[in-house]
Amino acid sequence: MSFVKEILKLVNCTIRFGGLTAVDNVSTYVGENELVGMIGPNGAGKTTVFNIITGVYDPSEGDIIFNGESLVKYKPYQVTHKGIARTFQNIRLCPSLSVKDNVRVSYNNWCKSKLFSSIFQLKSYHDEEKEIDRQIHELLEMFDLHVDADEYAKNLPYGDQRKLEIVRALATKPKLLLLDEPAAGMNPSEKKELMDLILTVKDKFNISILLVEHDMNVVMGVCERIFVLDYGKKIAEGKPEDIQKDPKVIEAYLGEQISNA
Amino acid sequence: MRKLQNNTKYLFITALFIILLINFLSDSINRYYYQIIIYCGINIILATSLNLINGYTGQFSLGHAGFMAIGAYVSASLSTYFAPALISLLGTGLVGKSIWFIFVLLCGGIAASVVGIIVGVPSLRLKGDYLAISTLGFSEIIRVVIQNLNFIGASQGFRGVYIYENGTRSLEMVSELSDVQYVFYEIPKYTDFFWTYLVAAVIIFSITNMIRSTYGRGFIAVKDDEVAAEAMGINTTKFKVTAFIIGAFFAGIAGGLYSHFLTYINPEDFNFLRSVEIVAMVILGGMGSTFGVVIAAIVLTLLPELLRDIQQYRMIIYALLLIIMMILRPQGLFGVRLHRKRKTNV
Ligand SMILES: Nc1ncnc2c1ncn2[C@@H]1O[C@H](COP(=O)(O)OP(=O)(O)OP(=O)(O)O)[C@@H](O)[C@H]1O
Ligand SMILES: [Mg+2]
Repeated sequence: MSFVKEILKLVNCTIRFGGLTAVDNVSTYVGENELVGMIGPNGAGKTTVFNIITGVYDPSEGDIIFNGESLVKYKPYQVTHKGIARTFQNIRLCPSLSVKDNVRVSYNNWCKSKLFSSIFQLKSYHDEEKEIDRQIHELLEMFDLHVDADEYAKNLPYGDQRKLEIVRALATKPKLLLLDEPAAGMNPSEKKELMDLILTVKDKFNISILLVEHDMNVVMGVCERIFVLDYGKKIAEGKPEDIQKDPKVIEAYLGEQISNA
Repeated sequence: MRKLQNNTKYLFITALFIILLINFLSDSINRYYYQIIIYCGINIILATSLNLINGYTGQFSLGHAGFMAIGAYVSASLSTYFAPALISLLGTGLVGKSIWFIFVLLCGGIAASVVGIIVGVPSLRLKGDYLAISTLGFSEIIRVVIQNLNFIGASQGFRGVYIYENGTRSLEMVSELSDVQYVFYEIPKYTDFFWTYLVAAVIIFSITNMIRSTYGRGFIAVKDDEVAAEAMGINTTKFKVTAFIIGAFFAGIAGGLYSHFLTYINPEDFNFLRSVEIVAMVILGGMGSTFGVVIAAIVLTLLPELLRDIQQYRMIIYALLLIIMMILRPQGLFGVRLHRKRKTNV
């Protein structure tokens, strides 16, 4: 059906926590340089899908294929080395590190200077640190965070902390970026700005993105394809305009509104 | 940035010169003060090395005395049991003695870090209190094992070894060999101001440089948020074990300095209270601030000397001090000041 090359494929993924099936037989894919949206009411299993992909949990059943290789046996840090980076729904920055150093941590995947060259301050170490500094500055500048580079991450406003999470994930140089509600808590204009930025980043670094977002308007605006989870099951998948009209989706979201009221 | 990092090199060289200078003057220092100065140096090494594990990497280890014991006993037994071989190989000149000393210290450090791996790999799966208890347990096991090893004096302590001409080695004189020639090789008193503070300078320099690097920031990320660190590609287990190995290595060297200063070691020197003392230095200094921990190590070495008359209450005073600290300055004495400094510099 699709003409794009699939970079990530979920094959019949299921995970159970005791009696609860948080993700129920979900299959889908993300194509190269594609921006896919994952939506669904609270507790639908979106974050859990991210946790399965990144190796935080092993799926009870099913497989995750990334670039033709199964990820199931890998630990989270190995998944990151394979080229998948993520952000967290509940922000998880390093509070005692500066903004700059939060990003620097991600360069551990790439820097060759380890214990000895850093202790003995070899020339190769200085050259590499300089290059890393340059790259960090460039990334921070894209997200307008460079003015706060030396500030503690925990002192940033909430929205900037979310942006910093994206920068930090990008610094691992991923091929696939998983964004878990990156615009949560932002006002509509900030959301719009962030989504434009995400689109720019996607094309500039030529990466694929899987985006979780509650705000329908936001998702509809940027995603090329959307799939919908409800109670762990995939209930719909397709182009934004089709999803918007899908009766199952409308019911799932209406159900939420009723139960929220 | 570049300028700052080169500065640490100059600082290190300056420190070396000062250490050498003071070392020349050390003969004129009162023996009692000299001993306290050496203890300060050894405690600086112990506290800064534990700070890498507890402070920077955020793993609460309560077994540093165990690693110190390994280093003390390994280096001391090499320096005694192998003394004839070392003397014939290296002679008794200054250079020979120095090589000998460096060799046994390194062996002690390496032995301690090997034990660090053995202790660390299973323990580091645990977190917080559980890790503290398991490391405490391991260091007590180390002490009990030493207490039962007769060739290093068991619970009597270790002073040296009688080596007879016919090859017999014994901790006490053997009455049946009363007509055989023997030499008593006691633990040589090689530790002086120079060696102690050289090691202290090396560890401060190494840890400062390492923590500032991209690599070193990984340790702090592990402390701050393990899940996030792992998601950014940090192999958290490897970082924790590395911190353990480096920490244990320097604790082992501190042990070697200790045994070659006292020339007599006893398993009780490395009991639980010793570990607590080192942890107290790290907490008082502010977890993860090398400068603060150095100051705290000095303060907590001097304090009991000033309070000689009320020795028996030392541990109570430590505990009170820690409780007061936790309430008034949970970040430690120097925790904040140092952070602010770093912010403006780097
Ligand atoms: N480790 C776990 N143990 C038990 N249950 C879990 C665990 N993780 C998630 N769940 C459950 O799985 C379900 C899906 O949770 P998940 O966080 O994936 O939802 P979500 O779609 O991300 O929701 P939200 O929109 O609120 O972020 C929830 O019912 C949650 O309680
Ligand atoms: Mg979620």
